[in-house]
Amino acid sequence: MTTTGQKKSIKSFYWTWLALTVLGVALSIWAPGHFMPRSMSNDMHLSILTIVIFSVSAAPVAAGVYAATLYVLKNFRYRGEGVPPAGADFRGNNVMITSWLLISTVLTIFLLVWGLGALAVDNGSTGRNPLVVNVTGQQWVWSFQYAGTNVKTNELYLPLNREVEFRITSDDVTHGFWIPQMGVQVDANQGVITTIHTTPSVTGTFDVRCTQFCGLNHAFMVTQGHVLSQTDFNNWLTAQPARA
Amino acid sequence: MSIDTHDQHVAHEGHHESPEVVDGRQRLAVWLFIGGDFVTLSALLFAYLYLRGVNTDGHWMNMLGYQGHTFGWYENLAGSAAGLPAPTLIHVHPLAAGFNWLVTLVTVISAGVVWLGERGLRATKNAKSYSAMAWLATAVVAVAIVLTIIQLRHIPQIFVAKNDSHVMAYTTYSSAMLVLIGSALVHLLLLVFLGLGLAIRSARGVISGEKWHQARLVRIFWVWVALSAVVISAVTTTVNTIH
Amino acid sequence: MTTTLEHSAPKVTSKAGGLARHQNFGTALIGGVLVAWLAWFIARRVCDPTGSGYSDLTAIWLGIGWTVGFWIGIGAFNGPLRWIAGRDHTRADDLYYAGEGQGRARYWKYTTDHKVVGVQYIVMTMVLLGVGGTLAMAIRTNLIAPGNHFVNQQVYNGFIAVHGMLMILALIVAVAGPWANFVMPIMCGARDMAFPRLNALSFWTLVAAAGLLLTTLAVGSLDSGWVVLAPITNQVGVAMDFFALAIVVFTVSTTVAGVNTIATILTMRTKGMTLERLPIFVWGSMIAAALGLYAFPYFLLVESLQILDRTVFTSFFVATGGGTGWLQANLFWLMGHPEVYVILIPAVAALFEIASVMSRKPVFSYRTAIAGMVGLAGLSILVWAHHMFTTGWAPTLGGPFMLTTEIISIPTGVFFLVLIGTLWRGNIWMKLPTVWMFGFIANFIIAGITGIYLSDIPIDNQLHGTMFVTAHFHYVFVGSVLFGAIAALAFWFPKVTGRFLNEFQGRISFWLTFVGVQVTFLAMFLSGLKGMPRRISSYSILFEHTNLISTIGAYTIMSGMLVLLGAIITSWRHGDPSGPNPWHANSLEWMVSTPPPLENFDVLPVITEDPYTYREELVRS
Repeated sequence: MTTTGQKKSIKSFYWTWLALTVLGVALSIWAPGHFMPRSMSNDMHLSILTIVIFSVSAAPVAAGVYAATLYVLKNFRYRGEGVPPAGADFRGNNVMITSWLLISTVLTIFLLVWGLGALAVDNGSTGRNPLVVNVTGQQWVWSFQYAGTNVKTNELYLPLNREVEFRITSDDVTHGFWIPQMGVQVDANQGVITTIHTTPSVTGTFDVRCTQFCGLNHAFMVTQGHVLSQTDFNNWLTAQPARA
Repeated sequence: MSIDTHDQHVAHEGHHESPEVVDGRQRLAVWLFIGGDFVTLSALLFAYLYLRGVNTDGHWMNMLGYQGHTFGWYENLAGSAAGLPAPTLIHVHPLAAGFNWLVTLVTVISAGVVWLGERGLRATKNAKSYSAMAWLATAVVAVAIVLTIIQLRHIPQIFVAKNDSHVMAYTTYSSAMLVLIGSALVHLLLLVFLGLGLAIRSARGVISGEKWHQARLVRIFWVWVALSAVVISAVTTTVNTIH
Repeated sequence: MTTTLEHSAPKVTSKAGGLARHQNFGTALIGGVLVAWLAWFIARRVCDPTGSGYSDLTAIWLGIGWTVGFWIGIGAFNGPLRWIAGRDHTRADDLYYAGEGQGRARYWKYTTDHKVVGVQYIVMTMVLLGVGGTLAMAIRTNLIAPGNHFVNQQVYNGFIAVHGMLMILALIVAVAGPWANFVMPIMCGARDMAFPRLNALSFWTLVAAAGLLLTTLAVGSLDSGWVVLAPITNQVGVAMDFFALAIVVFTVSTTVAGVNTIATILTMRTKGMTLERLPIFVWGSMIAAALGLYAFPYFLLVESLQILDRTVFTSFFVATGGGTGWLQANLFWLMGHPEVYVILIPAVAALFEIASVMSRKPVFSYRTAIAGMVGLAGLSILVWAHHMFTTGWAPTLGGPFMLTTEIISIPTGVFFLVLIGTLWRGNIWMKLPTVWMFGFIANFIIAGITGIYLSDIPIDNQLHGTMFVTAHFHYVFVGSVLFGAIAALAFWFPKVTGRFLNEFQGRISFWLTFVGVQVTFLAMFLSGLKGMPRRISSYSILFEHTNLISTIGAYTIMSGMLVLLGAIITSWRHGDPSGPNPWHANSLEWMVSTPPPLENFDVLPVITEDPYTYREELVRS
């Protein structure tokens, strides 16, 4: 009996693939929502949904690679002593190569189309009377100035269901303005204003974190934000003492 | 891999490769180095044009500082009760285009001398006159170096107070010119080294009518340096001020 | 069939080598320190001590002095000076430089023999990985619990930067350094690299650069993140100067090495070694070298501009002078993304080689494999701005860069096809290199897929700057490249030492490292998903569990690496003898004796087919 790489039944490969795919898809659907911060805006919904979609479409690919690897390990491993004899002498398989390239191209195009579509709506402006908040990063605090008022705070207050336009800059080094619950992130650069939009969709508390390394206390450049109902927000805004 | 190592009849000729083989290899290396240098040059010009395009707060050719002041003035005032006056916006002017082209012209001439010398060497097999041409090219490069240093000293700086001290700072235009001209200077210094090598080696007969390959290697690089000088001049003298 | 026969006639005379007879690592250190001191002394006289750039300027002069002195001391200028004087090396000089008859001393000298340089790179890579790994352990220990202060905040901030850059530099040379030097020329059928002295130059320049980089640890904290983007760097002290200069010097090393590698492959192949018959690792080395030649000039430039900004007050990255940090980010990532593939491609190419030899089968679709590597390298120069999606720079370019980035998954996918296709219907020999290769396959799929998330802007807006990114590229660098590098080490170790790397210890190391990587970095993905930013020294209670798990995993990786280190050290001296061709491979490096003689071949071989036809008789089980 020889052990040279002859063809072997491929059934076990398909079963492993199927099982791993099911596992992967289940994980893909469960994990992002479970581990990621509570979603408080449509942009965050979109981010989570995109992660789920990408994971679900990547699951069969990863499962295929793992299943093939396990299959190879089980079926083509040489179990004899000494140097193994030569394996099957084939140098490629055009059907396999073409279909592999085709599948990866189709998947890539799908991800691209989805991504470009998502990009078109993500953090974009709807142009409906946004609340403008001027955000300034400085080592190591955030300050928020509400346009058209003299109100300036170190915690961020936002009204529910109204679009917010953040105009972000920095007094010193580069900071990264990020609201983990809203899928909004852009750098604060000295001498430049960067703009990003989002619309809070749930009331509650959220975080503002710095994502660009900004020196000694970078780890502590964190503050809180609050989404209030429209009326609560207006009451809050008028109750604020003016700070230049 | 099937290999054949049994055919041992070839004579023992020592570790010998033909000059053409060695030359081909070295020429490839020169072209590869030029490739790397080309990327550097493109990145430099990208930086120049990008900074001009961004022009953060309109500071391409100006900066808050003090016109024409000296360190002594700064130190007297900085220590005094009056303190420093408020800085004003100081504008700078682009470097003289004519002078820039003059330096480039001298560099191009040196490349021409090297090229003519090499043609002469290959035609007449006269290593002595090639050596003279190499000395001449090196001397021309030395002139270019002096001119480049003069140019570097003319890059406008602005006196600014910074970190409780004083510095002569560069606006982005001046910064980009500094690094472009500085990189030209580094290349010219390299040419001096190569030129001296050609001159001495041909005088000693290491480069000769038969062994002219290194003359071509150096010429290829030399022409590249001249060419990049032309490109730098062309870009920086036509695209500088912002209207 | 013609064969050229060469012999090395002249005996090394007592005067061969000239000045080089007195030069070694010791004189290089002395030269470096002396000239550094001299440069510092002069700089202190010349520069204005009240000027704001005084300390930076003197630091730069000191660093340049160190580098030049080191070059003088090691003998890097001997060749150029002899060239300019018209007194070229004789054959005897060349043999002296190649280390003939110098025993172990040649490993401490400006030795041109590519095999010596290869061994020097093995040791150097291990030193760099060791220091970088120690820093990683300090970082993970600090992150074991919220608010832990194993090291103080400033020291921590410096550690993350130096850890990052040390590891990047270590991995750039981890596969290409040892193996594109030690085995690649033999694989081509060459007696040495095309430019042996440039080879020595590239290695010793790396040593000089490493000296500068390690100095940053001693002269204050480099608290700026490994990407060292202005303006934060303007708040960093002289550590930043040494860092930037280290990079400038390092690019000299990689450029010289890249030119040398390409020239060797294109011009030094033996008769019959057509490009179609080249072992695939040689192709990988060439593609990575070409990509490095394109990428590293940006690195040179960006750090040079950084130095100018700090010392003579140019305004490249300073907003008040019209500059912008975005220029620096662009230049950095124009280098930074191709560099990832400069690191990855040699490792992948080595694994193709290993997969073929260990499964006794030809590389699956050799041409597709090469096309995949070329495609990856070509696309990688067009994707840099995906590192800048959230910087606010040019939002309109987001779409195009997302496009190029996602297309890159097609050539990356080809690697899996080639690896698994090569193993398919082979007779897989489960030895140490094979084991680490399987580890690569398992990890690289995670690395690749998580990369696709980050290429998508709506996801990147959420995950950029978080531990998710950190976990992603650690799957690339630790899970994939390091596994590939260790597989390559286990594969070619017998050729270097004549002994096997201890199989048992190697497998213990594999399981510890493999499990450790999953534990550490899967938990780190979760930290990122939960919303933990990168580069923070202290974190909210929210991220407590995942960080504890990551730290436990990191200690597991460390134990795996220590076992491997022990295996390397003991096997080098006492391992099982392997003979010249332990894997019964067909490529040329296995045809020469072990260790290969100086100049490799007495008679240059003539090649008649590629190395992937295995002819062992079928054995009865």
